[in-house]
Amino acid sequence: MDKIIVVGGNSLKGKVKISGAKNSVLPIIVASLLSEGNCCINDVPRLADVYTICDVLGELGASVESNNLGMLNINCKDINKIEAPYEYVRKMRASVLVMGPLVARLGKAKISMPGGCAIGTRPIDLHLKGLEALGARISVEHGYVLAETSGLKGARIYLDYPSVGATENIIMAGALAEGITIIENAAEEPEIVDIANFINGMGGKIKGAGTNVIKIEGVKNLGSINHTIIPDRIEAGSFLVAGAITGGDLLLENVIIDHLKPVVAKLIEVGAEVTEEGTGLRVRSNGVIKAVDLKTLPYPGFPTDMQAQFMSLMAAAQGTSIITETVFENRFMHAEELRRMGADIRIEGRSAVVDGREKLMGAEVKATDLRAGAALIIAGLVASGETTVSNLYHIDRGYDNLVEKLRAVGASIIRC
Amino acid sequence: MNDDKFDQTMMFKVKTEEDISVREVLQNVYDALKEKGYNPINQIVGYLLSADPAYITSHNNARALIKKLERDEVLEELVSTYLRETK
Repeated sequence: MDKIIVVGGNSLKGKVKISGAKNSVLPIIVASLLSEGNCCINDVPRLADVYTICDVLGELGASVESNNLGMLNINCKDINKIEAPYEYVRKMRASVLVMGPLVARLGKAKISMPGGCAIGTRPIDLHLKGLEALGARISVEHGYVLAETSGLKGARIYLDYPSVGATENIIMAGALAEGITIIENAAEEPEIVDIANFINGMGGKIKGAGTNVIKIEGVKNLGSINHTIIPDRIEAGSFLVAGAITGGDLLLENVIIDHLKPVVAKLIEVGAEVTEEGTGLRVRSNGVIKAVDLKTLPYPGFPTDMQAQFMSLMAAAQGTSIITETVFENRFMHAEELRRMGADIRIEGRSAVVDGREKLMGAEVKATDLRAGAALIIAGLVASGETTVSNLYHIDRGYDNLVEKLRAVGASIIRC
Repeated sequence: MNDDKFDQTMMFKVKTEEDISVREVLQNVYDALKEKGYNPINQIVGYLLSADPAYITSHNNARALIKKLERDEVLEELVSTYLRETK
Protein backbone atom coordinates (compact mmCIF):
# COMPACT_ATOMS: atom_id res chain seq x y z
CA MET A 1 0.00 0.00 0.00
CA ASP A 2 1.29 3.49 -0.90
CA LYS A 3 2.68 5.75 1.79
CA ILE A 4 3.85 9.35 1.92
CA ILE A 5 7.05 10.00 3.84
CA VAL A 6 7.77 13.56 4.99
CA VAL A 7 10.95 14.71 6.66
CA GLY A 8 10.28 17.88 8.62
CA GLY A 9 12.37 21.00 8.90
CA ASN A 10 12.33 22.65 5.47
CA SER A 11 10.81 26.09 4.91
CA LEU A 12 8.55 26.11 1.86
CA LYS A 13 9.52 28.74 -0.70
CA GLY A 14 8.34 29.40 -4.23
CA LYS A 15 5.21 29.42 -6.37
CA VAL A 16 2.28 27.01 -6.31
CA LYS A 17 -0.44 26.90 -8.95
CA ILE A 18 -3.78 26.03 -7.37
CA SER A 19 -5.96 23.50 -9.21
CA GLY A 20 -9.66 23.65 -10.00
CA ALA A 21 -11.95 23.13 -7.01
CA LYS A 22 -12.90 19.57 -6.12
CA ASN A 23 -16.12 20.71 -4.48
CA SER A 24 -17.05 22.58 -7.63
CA VAL A 25 -16.00 20.16 -10.36
CA LEU A 26 -17.96 17.18 -9.00
CA PRO A 27 -21.41 18.85 -9.02
CA ILE A 28 -20.59 20.55 -12.32
CA ILE A 29 -19.75 17.22 -13.97
CA VAL A 30 -23.08 15.94 -12.61
CA ALA A 31 -24.89 19.03 -13.93
CA SER A 32 -23.77 18.01 -17.44
CA LEU A 33 -26.57 15.42 -17.17
CA LEU A 34 -29.01 18.30 -17.64
CA SER A 35 -27.59 19.18 -21.05
CA GLU A 36 -28.38 17.81 -24.47
CA GLY A 37 -25.27 19.49 -25.90
CA ASN A 38 -21.50 19.27 -25.46
CA CYS A 39 -20.04 20.30 -22.13
CA CYS A 40 -16.38 21.25 -22.17
CA ILE A 41 -15.00 21.68 -18.65
CA ASN A 42 -11.53 23.21 -18.09
CA ASP A 43 -9.17 23.22 -15.09
CA VAL A 44 -10.41 19.82 -13.99
CA PRO A 45 -8.18 18.55 -11.18
CA ARG A 46 -6.77 15.00 -11.40
CA LEU A 47 -8.56 13.44 -8.45
CA ALA A 48 -9.89 9.98 -7.68
CA ASP A 49 -13.35 11.49 -7.04
CA VAL A 50 -13.36 13.02 -10.53
CA TYR A 51 -12.64 9.61 -12.10
CA THR A 52 -15.41 8.05 -9.97
CA ILE A 53 -18.05 10.61 -10.95
CA CYS A 54 -17.04 10.24 -14.60
CA ASP A 55 -17.57 6.48 -14.22
CA VAL A 56 -21.03 7.16 -12.78
CA LEU A 57 -21.90 9.31 -15.81
CA GLY A 58 -20.55 6.60 -18.11
CA GLU A 59 -22.83 4.07 -16.36
CA LEU A 60 -25.79 6.34 -17.06
CA GLY A 61 -24.99 6.38 -20.79
CA ALA A 62 -22.98 9.61 -21.09
CA SER A 63 -19.91 9.98 -23.28
CA VAL A 64 -16.96 11.29 -21.24
CA GLU A 65 -13.55 12.10 -22.73
CA SER A 66 -10.60 13.63 -20.93
CA ASN A 67 -7.18 14.88 -21.94
CA ASN A 68 -4.06 15.37 -19.87
CA LEU A 69 -4.47 19.13 -19.86
CA GLY A 70 -7.30 19.09 -17.37
CA MET A 71 -10.12 19.25 -19.90
CA LEU A 72 -13.21 17.08 -19.90
CA ASN A 73 -15.67 16.75 -22.79
CA ILE A 74 -19.01 15.35 -21.72
CA ASN A 75 -22.07 14.62 -23.81
CA CYS A 76 -25.21 13.42 -22.05
CA LYS A 77 -27.64 13.61 -24.98
CA ASP A 78 -28.24 9.86 -24.98
CA ILE A 79 -28.33 9.02 -21.27
CA ASN A 80 -30.71 6.12 -20.77
CA LYS A 81 -30.17 4.70 -17.28
CA ILE A 82 -31.52 5.98 -14.02
CA GLU A 83 -29.48 4.14 -11.42
CA ALA A 84 -26.40 5.17 -9.42
CA PRO A 85 -25.28 1.82 -7.99
CA TYR A 86 -24.04 1.11 -4.47
CA GLU A 87 -20.41 0.63 -5.51
CA TYR A 88 -20.16 4.27 -6.60
CA VAL A 89 -22.26 5.93 -3.90
CA ARG A 90 -20.33 3.94 -1.28
CA LYS A 91 -17.05 5.26 -2.74
CA MET A 92 -18.18 8.81 -3.15
CA ARG A 93 -21.08 10.52 -1.46
CA ALA A 94 -21.37 13.18 -4.18
CA SER A 95 -22.92 10.47 -6.38
CA VAL A 96 -26.28 11.30 -4.74
CA LEU A 97 -26.22 14.56 -6.70
CA VAL A 98 -27.23 12.70 -9.86
CA MET A 99 -30.72 12.38 -8.41
CA GLY A 100 -31.83 15.94 -9.21
CA PRO A 101 -30.72 16.01 -12.86
CA LEU A 102 -31.90 12.46 -13.57
CA VAL A 103 -35.39 13.14 -12.25
CA ALA A 104 -35.46 16.40 -14.19
CA ARG A 105 -34.27 14.84 -17.46
CA LEU A 106 -35.72 11.31 -17.37
CA GLY A 107 -38.47 11.55 -14.75
CA LYS A 108 -36.92 8.86 -12.61
CA ALA A 109 -33.80 8.18 -10.50
CA LYS A 110 -32.66 5.29 -8.34
CA ILE A 111 -29.78 6.00 -5.99
CA SER A 112 -28.17 3.76 -3.41
CA MET A 113 -28.69 5.27 0.07
CA PRO A 114 -25.37 6.75 1.21
CA GLY A 115 -24.35 5.20 4.50
CA GLY A 116 -22.67 7.03 7.35
CA CYS A 117 -19.30 8.33 6.28
CA ALA A 118 -16.06 9.07 8.06
CA ILE A 119 -17.03 12.57 9.18
CA GLY A 120 -20.60 11.93 10.34
CA THR A 121 -23.95 10.63 9.18
CA ARG A 122 -24.71 13.53 6.80
CA PRO A 123 -28.26 12.51 5.91
CA ILE A 124 -29.80 13.35 2.53
CA ASP A 125 -33.19 14.33 4.01
CA LEU A 126 -32.92 17.89 2.71
CA HIS A 127 -32.18 16.68 -0.84
CA LEU A 128 -35.29 14.49 -0.73
CA LYS A 129 -37.45 17.18 0.87
CA GLY A 130 -36.50 19.56 -1.93
CA LEU A 131 -37.22 17.06 -4.71
CA GLU A 132 -40.55 16.15 -3.09
CA ALA A 133 -41.51 19.83 -3.00
CA LEU A 134 -40.84 19.94 -6.75
CA GLY A 135 -43.30 17.09 -7.27
CA ALA A 136 -41.13 13.95 -7.13
CA ARG A 137 -42.54 10.89 -5.35
CA ILE A 138 -39.86 9.46 -3.08
CA SER A 139 -39.72 5.89 -1.80
CA VAL A 140 -37.00 3.79 -0.17
CA GLU A 141 -36.61 0.15 -1.20
CA HIS A 142 -33.84 -2.32 -0.40
CA GLY A 143 -31.29 0.35 0.39
CA TYR A 144 -32.14 2.45 -2.65
CA VAL A 145 -34.00 5.77 -2.90
CA LEU A 146 -36.39 5.94 -5.83
CA ALA A 147 -37.59 9.32 -7.09
CA GLU A 148 -40.27 9.48 -9.80
CA THR A 149 -42.28 12.22 -11.43
CA SER A 150 -44.45 12.87 -14.43
CA GLY A 151 -43.03 16.40 -14.50
CA LEU A 152 -41.32 18.59 -11.92
CA LYS A 153 -43.01 21.88 -11.02
CA GLY A 154 -41.33 24.88 -9.45
CA ALA A 155 -41.91 25.48 -5.74
CA ARG A 156 -40.76 27.62 -2.84
CA ILE A 157 -38.43 25.59 -0.63
CA TYR A 158 -37.04 26.61 2.74
CA LEU A 159 -33.99 24.58 3.75
CA ASP A 160 -33.76 23.83 7.48
CA TYR A 161 -29.98 24.09 7.12
CA PRO A 162 -28.00 25.72 4.30
CA SER A 163 -26.79 22.38 2.91
CA VAL A 164 -24.48 22.70 -0.08
CA GLY A 165 -25.45 19.32 -1.57
CA ALA A 166 -29.19 19.89 -1.15
CA THR A 167 -28.92 23.37 -2.67
CA GLU A 168 -27.06 21.93 -5.67
CA ASN A 169 -29.52 19.06 -6.13
CA ILE A 170 -32.52 21.40 -6.02
CA ILE A 171 -30.89 23.92 -8.38
CA MET A 172 -30.29 21.14 -10.91
CA ALA A 173 -33.82 19.76 -10.62
CA GLY A 174 -35.34 23.25 -10.74
CA ALA A 175 -33.35 24.18 -13.84
CA LEU A 176 -35.57 21.93 -15.98
CA ALA A 177 -38.77 22.10 -13.87
CA GLU A 178 -41.86 23.92 -15.07
CA GLY A 179 -42.14 27.38 -13.53
CA ILE A 180 -40.15 29.11 -10.82
CA THR A 181 -38.33 27.50 -7.90
CA ILE A 182 -37.16 29.61 -4.98
CA ILE A 183 -34.71 28.21 -2.44
CA GLU A 184 -34.63 30.08 0.85
CA ASN A 185 -31.84 29.62 3.41
CA ALA A 186 -29.76 28.29 0.52
CA ALA A 187 -26.05 27.56 0.88
CA GLU A 188 -23.90 30.54 -0.19
CA GLU A 189 -20.64 28.72 -0.96
CA PRO A 190 -18.63 29.79 -4.05
CA GLU A 191 -19.23 26.31 -5.48
CA ILE A 192 -22.96 27.18 -5.68
CA VAL A 193 -22.10 30.23 -7.78
CA ASP A 194 -19.93 28.09 -10.04
CA ILE A 195 -22.67 25.52 -10.73
CA ALA A 196 -25.16 28.35 -11.36
CA ASN A 197 -22.70 29.91 -13.82
CA PHE A 198 -22.35 26.54 -15.52
CA ILE A 199 -26.10 25.98 -15.86
CA ASN A 200 -26.72 29.60 -16.92
CA GLY A 201 -24.02 29.21 -19.56
CA MET A 202 -26.02 26.29 -20.97
CA GLY A 203 -29.12 28.49 -21.18
CA GLY A 204 -30.46 28.18 -17.63
CA LYS A 205 -32.08 30.98 -15.68
CA ILE A 206 -30.72 31.02 -12.13
CA LYS A 207 -30.45 34.19 -10.08
CA GLY A 208 -29.19 34.90 -6.58
CA ALA A 209 -26.57 32.15 -6.28
CA GLY A 210 -24.08 33.18 -3.62
CA THR A 211 -26.88 34.71 -1.53
CA ASN A 212 -29.29 32.82 0.71
CA VAL A 213 -32.23 33.18 -1.69
CA ILE A 214 -31.88 31.56 -5.11
CA LYS A 215 -34.49 31.90 -7.84
CA ILE A 216 -34.56 29.34 -10.66
CA GLU A 217 -36.77 29.77 -13.68
CA GLY A 218 -37.09 26.39 -15.34
CA VAL A 219 -36.32 26.06 -19.04
CA LYS A 220 -37.29 23.28 -21.48
CA ASN A 221 -33.77 22.19 -22.32
CA LEU A 222 -30.12 23.14 -21.89
CA GLY A 223 -27.38 23.26 -24.52
CA SER A 224 -23.59 23.34 -24.90
CA ILE A 225 -21.02 25.15 -22.79
CA ASN A 226 -17.30 25.77 -22.33
CA HIS A 227 -16.64 26.40 -18.64
CA THR A 228 -13.61 26.86 -16.40
CA ILE A 229 -13.78 25.57 -12.82
CA ILE A 230 -13.06 28.08 -10.02
CA PRO A 231 -9.79 27.60 -8.07
CA ASP A 232 -9.86 25.30 -5.05
CA ARG A 233 -10.06 27.48 -1.94
CA ILE A 234 -9.35 24.50 0.34
CA GLU A 235 -6.22 23.47 -1.54
CA ALA A 236 -5.14 27.12 -1.44
CA GLY A 237 -5.88 27.30 2.29
CA SER A 238 -3.90 24.12 2.90
CA PHE A 239 -0.84 25.59 1.16
CA LEU A 240 -1.22 28.86 3.08
CA VAL A 241 -1.11 26.90 6.33
CA ALA A 242 1.88 24.88 5.07
CA GLY A 243 3.71 28.12 4.23
CA ALA A 244 2.91 29.65 7.63
CA ILE A 245 3.82 26.65 9.76
CA THR A 246 7.20 26.13 8.04
CA GLY A 247 8.22 29.78 8.25
CA GLY A 248 8.12 29.88 4.49
CA ASP A 249 7.40 32.29 1.65
CA LEU A 250 4.83 30.94 -0.81
CA LEU A 251 3.09 32.69 -3.69
CA LEU A 252 -0.16 31.00 -4.68
CA GLU A 253 -1.31 31.50 -8.25
CA ASN A 254 -4.83 30.94 -9.59
CA VAL A 255 -6.81 31.89 -6.49
CA ILE A 256 -9.94 33.93 -5.84
CA ILE A 257 -8.82 35.88 -2.81
CA ASP A 258 -12.36 36.68 -1.63
CA HIS A 259 -13.06 32.97 -1.18
CA LEU A 260 -10.17 32.74 1.29
CA LYS A 261 -11.10 35.65 3.57
CA PRO A 262 -11.92 33.61 6.71
CA VAL A 263 -8.72 31.57 6.36
CA VAL A 264 -6.55 34.61 5.63
CA ALA A 265 -8.04 36.47 8.61
CA LYS A 266 -7.04 33.60 10.93
CA LEU A 267 -3.57 33.33 9.41
CA ILE A 268 -2.97 37.03 10.02
CA GLU A 269 -4.19 36.52 13.60
CA VAL A 270 -1.61 33.74 14.13
CA GLY A 271 1.15 36.08 12.99
CA ALA A 272 1.66 35.19 9.32
CA GLU A 273 1.92 37.93 6.72
CA VAL A 274 -0.57 37.43 3.90
CA THR A 275 -0.60 39.86 0.98
CA GLU A 276 -2.30 40.12 -2.38
CA GLU A 277 0.12 40.11 -5.28
CA GLY A 278 -1.70 40.76 -8.53
CA THR A 279 -4.23 37.94 -8.76
CA GLY A 280 -2.14 35.79 -6.42
CA LEU A 281 -1.77 35.50 -2.68
CA ARG A 282 1.54 35.44 -0.83
CA VAL A 283 2.10 34.03 2.65
CA ARG A 284 5.25 34.75 4.63
CA SER A 285 6.02 33.69 8.15
CA ASN A 286 8.91 33.48 10.57
CA GLY A 287 7.51 30.19 11.83
CA VAL A 288 6.41 31.61 15.19
CA ILE A 289 2.69 30.86 15.42
CA LYS A 290 0.33 32.41 17.98
CA ALA A 291 -2.53 30.29 19.30
CA VAL A 292 -6.01 31.42 18.21
CA ASP A 293 -9.53 30.08 18.74
CA LEU A 294 -11.73 29.21 15.80
CA LYS A 295 -15.18 27.88 15.02
CA THR A 296 -16.27 26.27 11.76
CA LEU A 297 -19.40 27.65 10.11
CA PRO A 298 -21.14 27.56 6.73
CA TYR A 299 -19.67 30.01 4.17
CA PRO A 300 -18.66 32.81 4.59
CA GLY A 301 -17.60 31.50 7.99
CA PHE A 302 -14.45 29.50 8.62
CA PRO A 303 -14.66 26.33 6.46
CA THR A 304 -14.95 22.93 8.14
CA ASP A 305 -12.66 21.64 5.37
CA MET A 306 -9.81 23.74 6.86
CA GLN A 307 -10.35 22.71 10.48
CA ALA A 308 -7.92 19.76 10.47
CA GLN A 309 -5.09 21.75 8.83
CA PHE A 310 -5.52 24.52 11.41
CA MET A 311 -5.42 21.94 14.19
CA SER A 312 -1.93 20.98 12.98
CA LEU A 313 -1.00 24.67 12.95
CA MET A 314 -2.30 25.13 16.49
CA ALA A 315 -0.49 21.98 17.64
CA ALA A 316 2.75 23.79 16.78
CA ALA A 317 1.62 27.21 18.11
CA GLN A 318 2.58 29.12 21.24
CA GLY A 319 -0.30 28.86 23.70
CA THR A 320 -3.68 27.18 23.93
CA SER A 321 -6.42 27.30 21.34
CA ILE A 322 -9.98 26.05 21.21
CA ILE A 323 -11.27 24.71 17.91
CA THR A 324 -15.04 24.23 17.68
CA GLU A 325 -16.57 22.13 14.92
CA THR A 326 -20.20 23.04 14.28
CA VAL A 327 -20.72 21.69 10.76
CA PHE A 328 -20.03 17.95 11.09
CA GLU A 329 -20.50 15.78 14.13
CA ASN A 330 -17.45 13.53 14.00
CA ARG A 331 -14.60 15.48 12.50
CA PHE A 332 -11.82 15.24 15.08
CA MET A 333 -10.40 11.83 14.17
CA HIS A 334 -7.14 13.44 13.08
CA ALA A 335 -6.61 14.58 16.69
CA GLU A 336 -5.75 11.02 17.68
CA GLU A 337 -3.19 10.80 14.88
CA LEU A 338 -1.71 14.21 15.71
CA ARG A 339 -1.31 13.02 19.30
CA ARG A 340 0.93 10.26 17.96
CA MET A 341 3.15 13.07 16.71
CA GLY A 342 3.35 14.62 20.18
CA ALA A 343 0.46 17.07 19.89
CA ASP A 344 -1.45 17.87 23.08
CA ILE A 345 -5.14 17.81 22.11
CA ARG A 346 -8.19 17.11 24.27
CA ILE A 347 -11.61 16.63 22.71
CA GLU A 348 -14.54 17.99 24.69
CA GLY A 349 -17.79 17.47 22.82
CA ARG A 350 -17.72 19.59 19.68
CA SER A 351 -14.53 21.39 20.73
CA ALA A 352 -10.87 20.48 20.74
CA VAL A 353 -8.50 22.11 23.20
CA VAL A 354 -5.04 22.29 21.65
CA ASP A 355 -1.97 23.11 23.76
CA GLY A 356 0.76 24.12 21.35
CA ARG A 357 4.06 22.25 21.51
CA GLU A 358 7.48 23.59 20.63
CA LYS A 359 8.24 20.52 18.59
CA LEU A 360 6.14 17.81 16.97
CA MET A 361 7.73 14.42 16.39
CA GLY A 362 7.62 12.34 13.23
CA ALA A 363 5.51 9.17 13.56
CA GLU A 364 3.56 6.58 11.58
CA VAL A 365 0.06 7.95 11.13
CA LYS A 366 -2.96 7.28 8.95
CA ALA A 367 -5.21 9.67 7.07
CA THR A 368 -8.67 9.22 8.57
CA ASP A 369 -10.33 11.41 5.95
CA LEU A 370 -9.32 13.71 3.12
CA ARG A 371 -8.53 16.88 5.07
CA ALA A 372 -7.08 14.89 7.96
CA GLY A 373 -4.54 13.52 5.47
CA ALA A 374 -3.49 17.05 4.49
CA ALA A 375 -3.28 18.03 8.16
CA LEU A 376 -0.91 15.15 8.95
CA ILE A 377 1.35 16.04 6.04
CA ILE A 378 1.40 19.67 7.22
CA ALA A 379 2.34 18.54 10.74
CA GLY A 380 5.02 16.32 9.21
CA LEU A 381 6.57 19.35 7.49
CA VAL A 382 7.64 20.74 10.89
CA ALA A 383 8.00 17.53 12.91
CA SER A 384 11.43 16.27 13.84
CA GLY A 385 12.41 13.21 11.84
CA GLU A 386 10.25 11.19 9.52
CA THR A 387 6.45 11.09 9.33
CA THR A 388 4.85 8.25 7.38
CA VAL A 389 1.26 8.80 6.29
CA SER A 390 -0.86 5.83 5.12
CA ASN A 391 -4.46 5.48 3.81
CA LEU A 392 -3.57 7.75 0.92
CA TYR A 393 -6.79 7.02 -0.95
CA HIS A 394 -8.39 9.75 1.17
CA ILE A 395 -5.78 12.30 0.02
CA ASP A 396 -6.04 11.17 -3.62
CA ARG A 397 -9.76 11.94 -3.51
CA GLY A 398 -9.17 15.65 -3.11
CA TYR A 399 -5.60 16.90 -3.70
CA ASP A 400 -4.19 17.16 -7.21
CA ASN A 401 -0.46 16.28 -7.29
CA LEU A 402 0.05 17.22 -3.64
CA VAL A 403 3.41 15.51 -3.23
CA GLU A 404 4.87 17.00 -6.42
CA LYS A 405 3.59 20.47 -5.58
CA LEU A 406 5.07 20.35 -2.07
CA ARG A 407 8.38 19.00 -3.32
CA ALA A 408 8.58 21.80 -5.91
CA VAL A 409 8.56 24.39 -3.09
CA GLY A 410 11.18 22.66 -1.01
CA ALA A 411 9.45 20.00 1.08
CA SER A 412 11.29 16.76 1.69
CA ILE A 413 8.48 14.42 0.73
CA ILE A 414 8.13 11.26 -1.31
CA ARG A 415 5.41 8.78 -2.13
CA CYS A 416 6.40 5.15 -2.14
CA MET B 1 -31.28 94.69 -16.61
CA ASN B 2 -28.24 92.79 -15.59
CA ASP B 3 -27.23 90.19 -18.19
CA ASP B 4 -24.65 88.73 -15.91
CA LYS B 5 -26.20 85.46 -14.71
CA PHE B 6 -23.31 84.46 -12.53
CA ASP B 7 -25.11 85.74 -9.47
CA GLN B 8 -27.74 83.00 -9.96
CA THR B 9 -27.45 79.49 -8.61
CA MET B 10 -26.22 77.22 -11.38
CA MET B 11 -25.48 73.51 -11.53
CA PHE B 12 -22.39 72.26 -13.26
CA LYS B 13 -21.98 68.63 -14.21
CA VAL B 14 -18.33 67.78 -14.12
CA LYS B 15 -17.43 64.36 -15.42
CA THR B 16 -15.10 62.94 -12.81
CA GLU B 17 -12.48 60.29 -13.33
CA GLU B 18 -14.55 58.01 -11.11
CA ASP B 19 -17.59 58.25 -13.44
CA ILE B 20 -15.46 57.27 -16.39
CA SER B 21 -13.85 54.50 -14.47
CA VAL B 22 -17.13 52.79 -13.45
CA ARG B 23 -18.38 52.93 -17.02
CA GLU B 24 -15.09 51.67 -18.45
CA VAL B 25 -14.76 48.85 -15.97
CA LEU B 26 -18.37 47.72 -16.45
CA GLN B 27 -17.98 47.89 -20.23
CA ASN B 28 -14.75 45.85 -20.19
CA VAL B 29 -16.24 43.28 -17.82
CA TYR B 30 -19.39 43.13 -19.96
CA ASP B 31 -17.33 42.51 -23.10
CA ALA B 32 -15.20 39.82 -21.46
CA LEU B 33 -18.30 37.98 -20.18
CA LYS B 34 -19.94 38.21 -23.59
CA GLU B 35 -16.83 36.88 -25.31
CA LYS B 36 -16.91 33.86 -23.00
CA GLY B 37 -20.54 33.16 -23.84
CA TYR B 38 -22.17 34.25 -20.57
CA ASN B 39 -25.16 36.56 -20.16
CA PRO B 40 -23.19 39.64 -19.03
CA ILE B 41 -26.05 41.45 -17.27
CA ASN B 42 -27.02 38.34 -15.31
CA GLN B 43 -23.40 37.79 -14.26
CA ILE B 44 -22.73 41.41 -13.25
CA VAL B 45 -25.99 41.58 -11.28
CA GLY B 46 -25.07 38.29 -9.59
CA TYR B 47 -21.73 39.77 -8.56
CA LEU B 48 -23.29 42.98 -7.26
CA LEU B 49 -25.82 40.99 -5.21
CA SER B 50 -23.51 38.37 -3.78
CA ALA B 51 -20.02 39.96 -3.82
CA ASP B 52 -18.69 36.70 -5.21
CA PRO B 53 -16.07 37.32 -7.94
CA ALA B 54 -16.75 33.80 -9.28
CA TYR B 55 -19.53 35.47 -11.29
CA ILE B 56 -16.93 37.34 -13.31
CA THR B 57 -14.66 35.55 -15.76
CA SER B 58 -10.92 35.88 -15.39
CA HIS B 59 -10.80 36.33 -19.20
CA ASN B 60 -9.14 39.64 -20.18
CA ASN B 61 -8.45 40.34 -16.50
CA ALA B 62 -12.15 41.11 -15.94
CA ARG B 63 -12.25 39.59 -12.46
CA ALA B 64 -9.34 41.71 -11.24
CA LEU B 65 -10.82 44.76 -12.95
CA ILE B 66 -14.23 44.63 -11.25
CA LYS B 67 -12.53 44.22 -7.89
CA LYS B 68 -11.10 47.71 -8.32
CA LEU B 69 -14.58 49.13 -7.72
CA GLU B 70 -16.48 49.19 -4.45
CA ARG B 71 -19.85 47.52 -5.02
CA ASP B 72 -21.80 50.16 -3.10
CA GLU B 73 -20.29 52.88 -5.28
CA VAL B 74 -21.18 50.98 -8.45
CA LEU B 75 -24.76 50.59 -7.23
CA GLU B 76 -24.95 54.29 -6.31
CA GLU B 77 -23.69 55.19 -9.75
CA LEU B 78 -26.13 52.83 -11.47
CA VAL B 79 -29.14 54.14 -9.54
CA SER B 80 -28.27 57.78 -10.00
CA THR B 81 -27.50 57.33 -13.70
CA TYR B 82 -30.75 55.42 -14.22
CA LEU B 83 -32.82 58.07 -12.47
CA ARG B 84 -31.08 60.84 -14.40
CA GLU B 85 -31.54 59.18 -17.76
CA THR B 86 -35.13 58.03 -17.31
CA LYS B 87 -36.45 61.44 -16.17
